[in-house]
Amino acid sequence: MEIIYQIFIANGAFTTICKGLWVTVEISLVALILGTLLGAVICFFRMGNNRLMRFLTAGYIALIRGCPVLMLLMLLFYGVLAQSGLSPIAVAILAFALHTAAHVAELLRSSIMATDFGQVEAARTLGFSRIQAFRLVTLPQMMHIARPVYQSTIVNLIQWTSVVGYVTITDLTRVIYNTASRTMQPMITIIGGMIIYIAISYCVYGIFAWMEWRDTREVAE
Amino acid sequence: MGILDVKGLSKAFGDLPVLNNVDLSVQEGERIAIIGASGCGKSVFLRCLNLLEVPDEGHITIDGEEITAKGANIDLIRRKMGMVFQKFHLFSHYNVLDNLCLAPTQLLGMDRVTAEKKAMSLLSQVGLAAKAKVFPTVLSGGQQQRIAICRALMMEPKVLLLDEPTSALDPTMVGEVLAVIRMLAKQKLTMIIVTHEMKFAQEVADRILFFADQGIYEQGSPEEIFNSPQREKTISFIRKHTFFSYEISKRSEFDLMKLQGGIWSFAEKYGINDKHTYLLQLSSEELIYEFFHGSFADGEEVDLKLDVTYAQADDRIIMEVVSGGAEYNPILAESQDDDGMEHIGITLLKKRVSSISYAYEGGKNRVRVEVAGN
Ligand SMILES: Nc1ncnc2c1ncn2[C@@H]1O[C@H](COP(=O)(O)OP(=O)(O)OP(=O)(O)O)[C@@H](O)[C@H]1O
Ligand SMILES: [Mg+2]
Repeated sequence: MEIIYQIFIANGAFTTICKGLWVTVEISLVALILGTLLGAVICFFRMGNNRLMRFLTAGYIALIRGCPVLMLLMLLFYGVLAQSGLSPIAVAILAFALHTAAHVAELLRSSIMATDFGQVEAARTLGFSRIQAFRLVTLPQMMHIARPVYQSTIVNLIQWTSVVGYVTITDLTRVIYNTASRTMQPMITIIGGMIIYIAISYCVYGIFAWMEWRDTREVAE
Repeated sequence: MGILDVKGLSKAFGDLPVLNNVDLSVQEGERIAIIGASGCGKSVFLRCLNLLEVPDEGHITIDGEEITAKGANIDLIRRKMGMVFQKFHLFSHYNVLDNLCLAPTQLLGMDRVTAEKKAMSLLSQVGLAAKAKVFPTVLSGGQQQRIAICRALMMEPKVLLLDEPTSALDPTMVGEVLAVIRMLAKQKLTMIIVTHEMKFAQEVADRILFFADQGIYEQGSPEEIFNSPQREKTISFIRKHTFFSYEISKRSEFDLMKLQGGIWSFAEKYGINDKHTYLLQLSSEELIYEFFHGSFADGEEVDLKLDVTYAQADDRIIMEVVSGGAEYNPILAESQDDDGMEHIGITLLKKRVSSISYAYEGGKNRVRVEVAGN
């Protein structure tokens, strides 16, 4: 017990870990929100009528999904945005948002394609506009289809942010690494770090399980 | 001016012309059945009427409003036309009641209580009031289709378009859906129905349109189209669909499965129930083997022809087997004859068909079997 206290709590260790945790959460959360919005926009053009936009978005998705996110991060940090004056965290958020957007765009596209287009036509013949039909029929159905994959996308994103140490950011992984070298207790420290990551993942799973439960309860009523 | 007017409608997919300069005027309360070979453009025609497919040319006017006009409010005009699809397409994330109430509450501003009341009254008309809170996926195809019809009726359309409403159904469920459509026909709802159910088309429609050659090839009353079609393609189509024929000239070429399959699909078209279909199949098989044995004792060469027709007038199916060879009356065959051949099948048949008769005329054996239509 004593040793756990020494590693994780004593002499400001606790605040340091909390700060690292916050950086991880911040990057993940903001990147997720931006990435999802951007992903929706990309998906819109990917499935739209404009051939040029279709081609460009398809290229973007293929490119981003085809290479490690760390490459993208380093490219932005040391290359494209090196002179921009943006903070490392801002660059990391941007990199992960761009990365998430490609995955979300593809997820949304496959979810839309898995819905029954005949139901949209049925709605149109009743007199619903295109937008109404999307909102009332396609959207709820695609969200239901996308949900399990979206959940793993989020968990993956959180875990992938552990590479931001490469661009001088002190996130949870970096803090754990520093603590391990300072205390010379790598086993306990790293296991402790893993437990924190697992806890975050299970928070995400928990939120999704709760949403699922809420929906099935509505159905049962 | 009718309730629905189509002028010069043309539609092509790439360089495949599907419809060419089609005109149609439908009067209020008229029930129109569209028949025609697969792929002749029946669905495309129906889908053009409410612009699910955009026609290349032509004008479509519903209840005085032209949906094809520039700047027309398509969503508003579409409300005048209900559509029922082959595969139902109920909203799978809503229960039955919500499926019915969605459009009237959202589009017509009907309050929920009124909408539910209306929905329940429609559901009880189609015998599904008990299913109001159920989700579509747990319902049978026949039930889903009846609900899809109710969903369209909730908007009180001027015209109901039905595209093969029974084609995706199990044969056992066709009847319940046709019954609902018959009920609507009695209520004088204007309907255009694409169907492969010839018997149903004859009985429910005021006018039959036969589609071929990218348009309405021939049209007329059911009487005219089914009993005295005038043009070549109509004649051969009607013949093929109201008539089943099978000929055998070589013993080894006789394909029992093909014969039975042909009878089965013929029976399906006329909504003949399983029991009677089976009886027809049994009769055909028994009689053919009887003649194989009785008229052509040996040798490969045989001369047999089997015809199945549906007599609309008295709702009977008539099967005629005509055989060359030696004179032989299979009906008289005893349960077992001298050479040990079994005739149990024929004995059974005699008890179960409406009538069976034999004649020997012009050097041919003729057996006529009648089975009640339903
Ligand atoms: N969206 C489309 N794109 C290209 N070709 C199409 C499209 N829809 C229909 N066609 C073609 O148009 C022709 C008419 O099709 P349609 O579906 O209207 O036939 P149908 O008469 O309804 O046949 P069935 O009895 O099999 O339903 C067919 O050759 C079909 O391949
Ligand atoms: Mg069709």
